[in-house]
Amino acid sequence: MHLGATLRFVSARSSRTGIFRSAALSAERVTVEFPGVRALDCVSLDFHGGRIHAIVGENGAGKSTLMRVLSGAMRPTAGAISLDGRVMRFVQPADAIRAGISMVHQELNLVRTLDIAENVMLGREPTRTIGLRVDRAKQRTRARELLGVLGSELNPDTPASDLSIAQAQFVEIAKCLASDARVLIFDEPTAVLGERESKRLFSVLRRLRDDGRAIIFISHHLDEVVAIADEITVLRDGKVVDSFARATDGTIRSIDGVIADEGMVANAMVGRPLASIYPEKGVAIGDQVVIELVDFGAQGCSHGINLQVLPGEIVGLAGLIGSGRTESAEAIVGLRPRTGSVRIGGRDERLSSVREAMAAGVVYVSEDRKGRGLHVTLSSMINLTLPSLDSCTEFGGLRVDTGSEVAIGDRWIKAFSIRCARPHAPISFLSGGNQQKISLARWLETKPRVLIIDEPTRGVDVGARAEIYRIIAELAREGLACIVISSELSEVIGLAHRALVMRGGVIAGELSRERLARADAQECIVRIASGVLEEGLVQR
Amino acid sequence: MSAHSKQVMQVVQRSMERWGVVIAFVALFAFSTFQQGSDFFNAENFRALLNSNAAVGILAVGMTLVIISAGIDLSVGSMVALAAAIGTTVMNSLIGSGSSEVTAVLVGGAVTVLVGLAAGSLNGILVVYGRIAPFIATLGGLAAFRSIALAIADAGEIRSQSATLFSALGRGGLPLPGLENSAGRPLTLSYSTVIFFVLAAIGQWVLSRSRFGRHLVAVGANETAARYAGISVSWVRLRVYALMGLLAGVVAFIQSSRMNSVSTAQLGLGSELDAIAAVVIGGTSLRGGFGRVWGTVVGVLILGMITNMLTISGVSPHWQGAVKGAVIVIAVLVQRSSRE
Repeated sequence: MHLGATLRFVSARSSRTGIFRSAALSAERVTVEFPGVRALDCVSLDFHGGRIHAIVGENGAGKSTLMRVLSGAMRPTAGAISLDGRVMRFVQPADAIRAGISMVHQELNLVRTLDIAENVMLGREPTRTIGLRVDRAKQRTRARELLGVLGSELNPDTPASDLSIAQAQFVEIAKCLASDARVLIFDEPTAVLGERESKRLFSVLRRLRDDGRAIIFISHHLDEVVAIADEITVLRDGKVVDSFARATDGTIRSIDGVIADEGMVANAMVGRPLASIYPEKGVAIGDQVVIELVDFGAQGCSHGINLQVLPGEIVGLAGLIGSGRTESAEAIVGLRPRTGSVRIGGRDERLSSVREAMAAGVVYVSEDRKGRGLHVTLSSMINLTLPSLDSCTEFGGLRVDTGSEVAIGDRWIKAFSIRCARPHAPISFLSGGNQQKISLARWLETKPRVLIIDEPTRGVDVGARAEIYRIIAELAREGLACIVISSELSEVIGLAHRALVMRGGVIAGELSRERLARADAQECIVRIASGVLEEGLVQR
Repeated sequence: MSAHSKQVMQVVQRSMERWGVVIAFVALFAFSTFQQGSDFFNAENFRALLNSNAAVGILAVGMTLVIISAGIDLSVGSMVALAAAIGTTVMNSLIGSGSSEVTAVLVGGAVTVLVGLAAGSLNGILVVYGRIAPFIATLGGLAAFRSIALAIADAGEIRSQSATLFSALGRGGLPLPGLENSAGRPLTLSYSTVIFFVLAAIGQWVLSRSRFGRHLVAVGANETAARYAGISVSWVRLRVYALMGLLAGVVAFIQSSRMNSVSTAQLGLGSELDAIAAVVIGGTSLRGGFGRVWGTVVGVLILGMITNMLTISGVSPHWQGAVKGAVIVIAVLVQRSSRE
């Protein structure tokens, strides 16, 4: 242990003096199959040291699966991973880390009860007295050095629980450096960062690249990708569909040498003009407000929200992660304590639990399908009927009428063309799209008047996406009042009649239907959400 | 591995997961019959086997539901002792004060069951409102309930003052037509066995056909998702612990009437572990969210048969724990490998 640790030190040191052995990581005809889905289809890609390689693609395009294969978290059904020309057989992430491939996960994995130095050196603690004692001093110095490489001046003694997300990310990267990573994989690193923090991260990425490391980087933000990547690969439906590279003059060019911009990359991602996946917007029916929020807020997360939704209206709720959208929605249906009041059909309602909200006709479809929205270990049938179970029980709940239960399940499976081979099998193997249809259907079965749907297409493939949009538009046309929370701007613009933008727990701006139809609507939302445009309300 | 053989493997695994406990039961039954012949395979032995495992069986039925809700109840053995001690004391004092035997037994029995219900509800309150982990909350009960029972009887025995009725209930049963024991008397299926089967059937119904059962599974599989689906998680959990207590009360009555006395130091000692073992052998997931009462019943019979077999073949009772332990571990191993 002791000797190994010392050797690692030497090699890591050499890295900072620039004699870094550059790596070439290759995926060769990698295919990953899940029951019913081919997540990756014969993907061949090369990643080189000294390059930042961005992988882009829509949700469900196979990016995360590819990253999991590269980082040893998943074994491909067919194909191979090779490093410097040698085929690697990773059984678990630890094997990949040992080979010099580290992944910085979206959800950071620091041990909250340890301090920065301990986290950075976790698993490779410098020791003394023949390996029996952790050398605290060395641990601290080493952590400080590694953080220094990243240009961070965090105190190694700080407990991990005190770190902001951005700081924790730096510690996470330092941890990868401690393991001597030559290939660093970043899964949507900027998703949780503000603009300034993102810029700082990019300068770190460039520095790591200039050391000769290979950087692989997933992002949904195409502007970032075009700004920072040396190479861009576009995945769609598990296949590599296009690639771009930075030419010597600094421009991004397609394979045929055409100078490319974000738009071109976006088109390659979607594979068809964006507009076509959104159904035509209907008109709001009547003028009787269905749900009204008055000076509403989720305690500690949002406040001062005033909102009225008409039947048949789809209101988009945009904003950055952490701006208080989900919390507010949860407060409406009684999952969180709230301030202010909710009026349904003109009457003040308490809605202190999901049950009460459901009885009043307000339902919330969670963004977190696997953790909150659905029971993934249970069957399609049970999931579909869980909220509305009362409607098919007899004798005060003593008997569930399986006949009518199956009828309900079958009806939705047919109506939404949910592809589940066996309705009584666990839904964990269903695709994101089918799961999402189930989590929507289970709430529609309670016959709501107000539907709040949070990130309706997160982790849903393009085909099912269009179906979900069509379903939402259809429901609105039938008179349902819909609030769609989404981080995908195109979704808000394509689906909603009007959009509210939240920032820091308040509504920072509103875009009318006409405003949404204008070409710069996306930019406008971004500006309001990020606080560049303060007078958002004026922008109607 | 080819796609076809993979599919075959999956089918085999899935059926092992579902029917493994039945296969184990049949194998053990065949082995015992082969090994011990008519010493094992006779109606009187079967009657004894069922009779001596009914109490643990009833506890295991409740434990199945508790474990499916992702909880556990370690206090059931002590709860049985406490309920029996209080119930029998009440009965005795009623008889002492001149009440009729029928009244005394009825009131004593009702008190026994209600004490169980109260103790179970207390567990539920601690878990739900005290936010104490079920393991810890009921570990407290394990110590406390037993200790109160011991204090009531000064660690001794409480002998029933009921002349005939109490023990008649405990020892009696439904006659099985056409079957006789070795002494030529008609063979009966003890009331405790009948109650066990009836409660098991109700338990299976509750689990698979009632709304409460559905909610139990949902809470056990993912508490947060259950809350988001509009299920009152607290109410579900509170009820399942109360139900467990109620069943412990029933067991307390069965056991004290069978012995016609309550040994506060011995009654129900360690039966929480037997009950949990039966549940696990029966294929219920200790992580919650999946389980079945019929599997537990088979699990109880397997454990009972092992004891029975070892007893018949004259193996020292000290070895029984080792064999049971091995069976439990193997059961969990088989189920784990088939689920991954």
